[in-house]
Amino acid sequence: MNLAWTVILAQEAEQISEEGSSGAALLLPAPEELIAGIIAFVIVFAVAWKYALPALNATLEKRQAAVRTDLEAAEKAKVEAESLLVDYRAQVAGAKDEASDIVAEARDAGEAVKADIIARAEVEADQIRARAGEEIVSERERAASDLRRQVADLSINVAERVVGSTLDAEAQSDLVDRYIDELGGVQ
Amino acid sequence: MDNATAQGTYVDHYASALWSIAGAEADPSAAADEIFRAAQGLSGHGELIETLGDPRIPGERKQGIVDDILSGHASKVTVAAMSLIVGVGQAKNLGAIASRVAELAADAEGEVVAEVRAPIELGAGQIERLTAALTTATGKRVQVKTVVDPSVIGGLVAKVGDTVLDGSVQHRFSELREQWG
Repeated sequence: MNLAWTVILAQEAEQISEEGSSGAALLLPAPEELIAGIIAFVIVFAVAWKYALPALNATLEKRQAAVRTDLEAAEKAKVEAESLLVDYRAQVAGAKDEASDIVAEARDAGEAVKADIIARAEVEADQIRARAGEEIVSERERAASDLRRQVADLSINVAERVVGSTLDAEAQSDLVDRYIDELGGVQ
Repeated sequence: MDNATAQGTYVDHYASALWSIAGAEADPSAAADEIFRAAQGLSGHGELIETLGDPRIPGERKQGIVDDILSGHASKVTVAAMSLIVGVGQAKNLGAIASRVAELAADAEGEVVAEVRAPIELGAGQIERLTAALTTATGKRVQVKTVVDPSVIGGLVAKVGDTVLDGSVQHRFSELREQWG
């Protein structure tokens, strides 16, 4: 690109030189202007070097320090965040373990309660069975006793009627005599 | 005063009244004995006592029944005494009143009554031997009053005061019932 411009400028210069020295003079400044310009440039440069550059440097340094501080803070925050993340992960893991423990304990407790209820129910069932057995035996004995009593009553009632109807006056008198004798014998 | 005490009081009062009536007779002991026998005879018939104790039947009607039954078989004093008891609604206490009258009569002679229940009428010899046996057994002078009671079935039951000497077949059967029950 620069080569192209150089060529172009050279061609222009040749053209100008061909056209005459008056054209080049239009482009080049006068020496006094050039000197004044150089002096002005030096003054401006010096002023800028003296005043603007330190301020610029200070600003840059301040900015650099701020950026550094920000970077450090960010780094610190990142470290803290990573630390917190680690802590959080540890807590989560701990919570999961704790939850697992709680679930396991609850399951164990539930199993224990279930086993206890079953054991108690079995004991109660055994007691109920035993009581029912005793009641059955008792009822059977009572029924047998009632039956014996009823049979005895019936038999004795029949015997009373039979004896009453078979005892004639003589037999009755004999019985009376026998008891009077018994009474006399007691004395 | 409960019902049983009241009944006992009534029995004592009516027995005293009957004993007073008997005491006015020539032979108070014989009159009391007849009252006892008549009352026990009536008491031995449950349905009759039920009827005589029925409050729906007028007293005059009840007394008429007693007169019909006893007239010709007992003295007028005895018939009147029975009629009095039935007329005042004490038919159910007739047996107890008769027993109390017998006790009062015996007591007047320094004796105690032995109320003897048997399914048959006892002979004079049996009564004599029984009197002797009971006198010896109880240590008291005993006056035997017999009551025919078919429920005894056989043998006899003698009650002297609170002492009961039970030689009845019914008692034997009761013992059997207790043993088998």
